[in-house]
Amino acid sequence: MSEVKQDKTKQGSVQTTGHAWDGDIQEFNNPLPRWWLWGFYATTLFAVLYWVFYPAWPVGDSYTKGVFNNITYKVGGKEVTTHWNTRALLMKDLQEGEEAVKQRKYMSGLMAASYEKIVSDPKMMQFTRSVGKILFEDNCAACHGMGGAGVAGLFPNLVDDDWLWGGSLKTIQATIESGRRGYMPGFKKTFNDAQMNDVVEYVMSLSGKQVDEDMAKRGGVLFNGQGGGCYYCHTSKGTGMASVGSANLTDSIWTVAKVSSQKTPETKRKVIRDVISSGISREMPMWKARLSEAEIKVLTVYVHELGGGK
Amino acid sequence: MAHVSASSEQYNYEIIRKFAIMSLVWGVIGMSVGVYIALELAFPALNFDIPEITFGRLRPVHTTLVIFGFGGSALFATSYYIVQRTCQVRLFSNGLATFTFWGWQIIIVSGALSYMLGYSQGREYAEFEWPIDLLILVVWVAYLVVYIQAIRQRTQPHIYVANWFFIAFILVTAILHVFNNLAIPVSLFSMKSYGAFSGVQDAMTQWWYGHNAVGFFLTAAFLGMMYYFVPKQAGRPVYSYRLSIIHFWALVFLYMWAGAHHLHWTALPDWTSTLAASFSIMLLLPSWGGMINGIMTLSGAWDKLRSDPIMLFMIASLSFYGMSTFEGPLMSLKSVNALSHYTDWTIGHVHSGALGWVAMITFGSMYHMIPRLYATKVYSIRLIYTHFWLATIGIVLYITSMWIAGIGQGLFLRAFDDYGNLKYSFIETVVFLHQPYVWRAIGGMFFVAGIVIMTYNIYRTISQGKREAAEIEAKIAARMARA
Repeated sequence: MSEVKQDKTKQGSVQTTGHAWDGDIQEFNNPLPRWWLWGFYATTLFAVLYWVFYPAWPVGDSYTKGVFNNITYKVGGKEVTTHWNTRALLMKDLQEGEEAVKQRKYMSGLMAASYEKIVSDPKMMQFTRSVGKILFEDNCAACHGMGGAGVAGLFPNLVDDDWLWGGSLKTIQATIESGRRGYMPGFKKTFNDAQMNDVVEYVMSLSGKQVDEDMAKRGGVLFNGQGGGCYYCHTSKGTGMASVGSANLTDSIWTVAKVSSQKTPETKRKVIRDVISSGISREMPMWKARLSEAEIKVLTVYVHELGGGK
Repeated sequence: MAHVSASSEQYNYEIIRKFAIMSLVWGVIGMSVGVYIALELAFPALNFDIPEITFGRLRPVHTTLVIFGFGGSALFATSYYIVQRTCQVRLFSNGLATFTFWGWQIIIVSGALSYMLGYSQGREYAEFEWPIDLLILVVWVAYLVVYIQAIRQRTQPHIYVANWFFIAFILVTAILHVFNNLAIPVSLFSMKSYGAFSGVQDAMTQWWYGHNAVGFFLTAAFLGMMYYFVPKQAGRPVYSYRLSIIHFWALVFLYMWAGAHHLHWTALPDWTSTLAASFSIMLLLPSWGGMINGIMTLSGAWDKLRSDPIMLFMIASLSFYGMSTFEGPLMSLKSVNALSHYTDWTIGHVHSGALGWVAMITFGSMYHMIPRLYATKVYSIRLIYTHFWLATIGIVLYITSMWIAGIGQGLFLRAFDDYGNLKYSFIETVVFLHQPYVWRAIGGMFFVAGIVIMTYNIYRTISQGKREAAEIEAKIAARMARA
C-alpha cells in the first residue's frame, strides 16, 4: 500500500473509486491506515506465538502440543512432565500453589487432631471458623440460612441450644455424614376434635403455658397412654429423645410449630394443632458422598460451635 | 400506499414500512421484558411464583424479542431498503417479500409464547423448538431468494459494500441455523426434541452458533446498515474502499473460528481453546476496520455532530462498536476469561454491543429511513436529542454496573484468606450483586424510555406523512376536476 503517495490526511486529494450508488454514495480509495495494518500484523504475530507455545492445531487424531512450556507435577508421588494443559495446570496448582500449600498445612493438622484437641486449641479453631464459614455457606446455607438460623417449621435452627438429634461432636458428625429423616405421624384420624384440643392443651402445659387444667389432664392421658402414644417418642416427661430426633416439648424452643411468633393463645394453639394433625416428614440429605472427610470434620466443629455445643 | 410518493412505485416500500414498524414494536416490548427480568434478578419476589414469568422463561423471551424481533425486523427493513436503492431495482416478488414479513412475525410470536409455556431447546439464542426452527428455515430461504434476486437484477454495474455484508449475514445465518438445530423430535406431534450432538461437541456447536450469531447477525449485518446510512446521512463518500474489502474478508474468515472462547476452562480440548482465543485476538483489527471506515467517513463533516442528532446516534454506535470489539478479544484470553467467565462482565459486554452498537445504529438508520419511506420530515428533532441522551445514559449505567458486578464477583470468587481458604462464599458474592443489579435495571429503564419516545416520534412522523400525502392527493384531484 506504500506506493500510494497521496496525502492521507486530506481526503480531498484522494480519488474516489468512480462509482456512485443511490445517487450520491461514493467511496474514497484511501489506503489502509498504517497503524491499522501494523496492528493487524501484530495481532497475527501474537496468534502465531500463541500457537507455538500452547496446544493449538489439530493434526490427525492428535494436536500440536506447544514448546518451551512444559508443566511438571506429581502423579502418585512420581514427577511427571507434560506439555501445557489445563488439567496439569490445576494439578500443579493444587499441589504447589501458595494458597493450597498453606491450606494443606492447617488442614492436615486438623485431620491429625482429635475433636477435643481442636475445640481447645484457639489457632485450630480460628482456621476451622475461616474454612467452615465458606463450607457452611456454600453447602448448608441453602436450607439453614447463612447464619444457621434455619427457617421456622422447615429447617432446624442451628444457633439455639436445642438439638433434635443430639449436639455432641460425634452426633453432629453422624448427622452430616448420613443425613436425618425427621418423621412424626399425623393424628387427624386418631383423635376427634375434643381429643385433639385436649392434647394441644397438654402440650402447651408441658412448657408451662397457661392452660385449662381439665383439658390438659385429659390430654395427658391420651399423650401418655395407648390412645395417642405420644410418649413413645417424646417420653412421658415430654423431653424427647435424640435417638429418634423427637423434640423436647418442655423447653419453650419450638422446632416445627411456629408458636413463638404467634400473638394470641388461639393462634398458638392452632399451629400446634396443625402439627399434631398433619404430622411431620422432613429430610436432611447425607453429605458423605459430597464432602470429603476433612470437610465434614470442619463442618462438625463449625456447627457445634454455632449452637454453643454440647 | 401507492399515493405516498412516486418512489414507492419504483421500489417496494410497503414491505419496508411493515418491518420498520414491527421493529419498534418488538423493541419496546423486548426491552421492557429485559427491564422486568433485570428487576427480577434484583428482587426475586417479582416472579410472584408464576412459572410463565420466572427469569428462566422470560430471559429467552427478552433475547428473542430484541435480537430477532427488534434487530431482525430492522435488518429486513434496512436490507430491503438498501438493496433496492443501491441496485436501483424493485424487489422481484411482492408475494415472497410479504411472506418473509408474516413468517418472521409468526416466528417471533410463537417463539416467545412457547418459551413462556416452558418449551425450549435450551440452546442460547436458538431456544426455538423444532417446528419453529423449520419455519425459520423456510422464511430464511425466501429472504435469501428475494435478496439475491435483487442483486442479480441490479441496474448498477457494481455491488455496493453494504450488500456484501448483508449477503454474508444471510448465508452464514442459514448455515449456523441448520447445524445448530439438528435435532430429532420425540414424536411428530411433540414440541420436544433432542439435539443431534452430545457433550462437548454439543457445547461446541452451540457456541459456534452463538458467537457467529453475534458475528454475522449482530455485527456483519449491522455493518451493512452502517455502510449505507452513515455516508448517506453525512453526505460524504465512504473513507476507504480498500479498507472495506480487507476488513470484510478478514472479518468473515476470522469470526468463524472464535466461538469456542465461550468454553474456556471447560471440558473443551486445550487446543480448541487456544485456536479460539488466537482468532479472537486477530479479529480485533478487522472489527475495527468497520469503525474506522464509519468514523473517518464523518471526518470533514464533524460540524454535523452539532446540528444533527441522527449523526450523534451513528457516531456513538461506532464508538461503542469499537469499545466492545476491543473488550471481546480481551475477554477471550484464557487468563482474563478465568475471571470474567460466569460473571456479569459478560452480560455487560453483550449489552455494550447490543445497546451501544446494534440498537444505536438501528435508531440512527430508522430516523433517517422512516421519514423517507413516508416522503416527509421527522416530526421532532428535539425528541431525537432526548432519545439520544436517555439511551446514552442508560447504556453507561448498564455497562458500568455490570463491570462492577462482574469484575467484583470475579475477584471475590478468587480471593483467599491468610489460611489459604476461600475468603468469600458464593452466596456472599450474590448478596454483593444486588446493588449493581438495581443500577442495571435503572439503566435499562432509561433505555426503554428512549425507545418509547422514539416510537412516539415515529408515530407522529408517519401520521404527518400520511396527512401530507392525502393533502397532495386532494390538490391533484381538485386540479383534475377543474381541468
